[in-house]
Amino acid sequence: MYGADVEQIAIQLNEDPQKLADFEARIARGEKIEPGDWMPAEYRRQLIRMISQHAHSEVVGMLPEGAWITKAPSLRRKLILLAKVQDEAGHGQYLYHAAETLGATREEMLDALLDGKAKYSSIFNYHTTTWADNGAIGWLVDGAAILNQTMLARCSYGPYSRAMVRICMEENFHRKQGQEMIILYSQGTPTQRAMVQDAITRWWWPTLMMFGPHDADSPNSGVLIRWGIKTRTNDELRQDFINQLVPDLQACGIVLPDPDLHYDEATGNWRTGAIDWDEFWAVLKGNGPANAERMAARRQAHADGHWVREAAAAYAVKNQNQ
Amino acid sequence: MVFQQEGPDQPVVHNGTVHAPDAELAMLNARDVFVRRPEAVALWVVPADAIFTQTQEELAKAEPASQAASGLSDYYVFAKFSQQAQCRQVGQVQAGSPQAAVQAAIVTFADKQPLWWWVFPASAVLKNESSEAEPMFSAARYKTYKDQAEYPVVTMMRALRDKGRLD
Repeated sequence: MYGADVEQIAIQLNEDPQKLADFEARIARGEKIEPGDWMPAEYRRQLIRMISQHAHSEVVGMLPEGAWITKAPSLRRKLILLAKVQDEAGHGQYLYHAAETLGATREEMLDALLDGKAKYSSIFNYHTTTWADNGAIGWLVDGAAILNQTMLARCSYGPYSRAMVRICMEENFHRKQGQEMIILYSQGTPTQRAMVQDAITRWWWPTLMMFGPHDADSPNSGVLIRWGIKTRTNDELRQDFINQLVPDLQACGIVLPDPDLHYDEATGNWRTGAIDWDEFWAVLKGNGPANAERMAARRQAHADGHWVREAAAAYAVKNQNQ
Repeated sequence: MVFQQEGPDQPVVHNGTVHAPDAELAMLNARDVFVRRPEAVALWVVPADAIFTQTQEELAKAEPASQAASGLSDYYVFAKFSQQAQCRQVGQVQAGSPQAAVQAAIVTFADKQPLWWWVFPASAVLKNESSEAEPMFSAARYKTYKDQAEYPVVTMMRALRDKGRLD
């Protein structure tokens, strides 16, 4: 459908062909679409879906690492982890604001998350069982997120793209502190080396799944690429990630959990074995190792904050009446 | 709406938005969300509905606003100069209404050709006190571990590849 010409698409989406053509011409010229501008309903819908899922991912993403703040092995690592988790909270805020510029309300987005109707990145439904998992999350998970977000920093919707520029800068700190941790432990004591190997073994495949289904099974990709929301496909981004990470992890002496992994001389790409998509869909549908725990923690945090919201609102009313 | 000034000689620039029941909490949220890293010397919060905006196209169609001499007040004038840019402060005018403030801005800043004008009454802004700037913003400056340059991972990887060990 989305390779078709603009008139056919206007009919299918029930949009004014001239307005749609003007809109697509703006995107082709590299202009940013801003909140007050005309946009197809489908563009708005797709952006709200993506940005709110992204915001939820940042917020839920605080939980796996947040649990380790009190157990960090040094003051330096504790400060780093605190700052990182605080950043994720800030990223959630930037993104909820970006979605609000499209007419979504904060309340409906939060309710969708707390009611279990909204999706967030499947990666956060895995447990962090050892300290080294924080390094693996930084280097692998945040590294994967940066590839996706660097692409989104160029997306056609102004508020989303500007939020991404800021987020990418901060995520580079997240990635590098994780990479530093993994490199150091990989050259450390036998116990540290075993801990790092175990962490990478558990996080490798779930990280590759973060990029989403193969292009052939990715229903939204066509329209997202046509309208400049995404400029690269899931498989292209995943291949970039694999090519970057495999040589570095191997240089650390880490063995990846994939007997089929090999270098393809012809294309210059590292090839992995088949991804277990049954696992991906199971986690996405709520049956991952930690889905229930994550949602329970989110609901508890929201309920625990009720008195703060109530007090802030009452204080504002009191001041207005004075 | 949150506006931030990064240095004494820098313009005040629109940075984003926060939700809050009042200006005081908006200021606290803005600091936590937008100034977790340097640099800032000033932070402003303005209720979104106090901001009046006009694009060039809208201006072309706008009726002339009456410049009533009575009841003039100060308006801050901001402008957005390109699609990619954030709205930034260009100055201040006196006017009787937001519409009049935009028209005064066009005359006062005739050399500027922005895509958008934003104006809001100076009375709608909450700014941090200058005495608060140090405690509000300096803490971030010493948290150097938030800077990716603190992590020499490229050098570390090179040492591992070249020598099979870290230096």
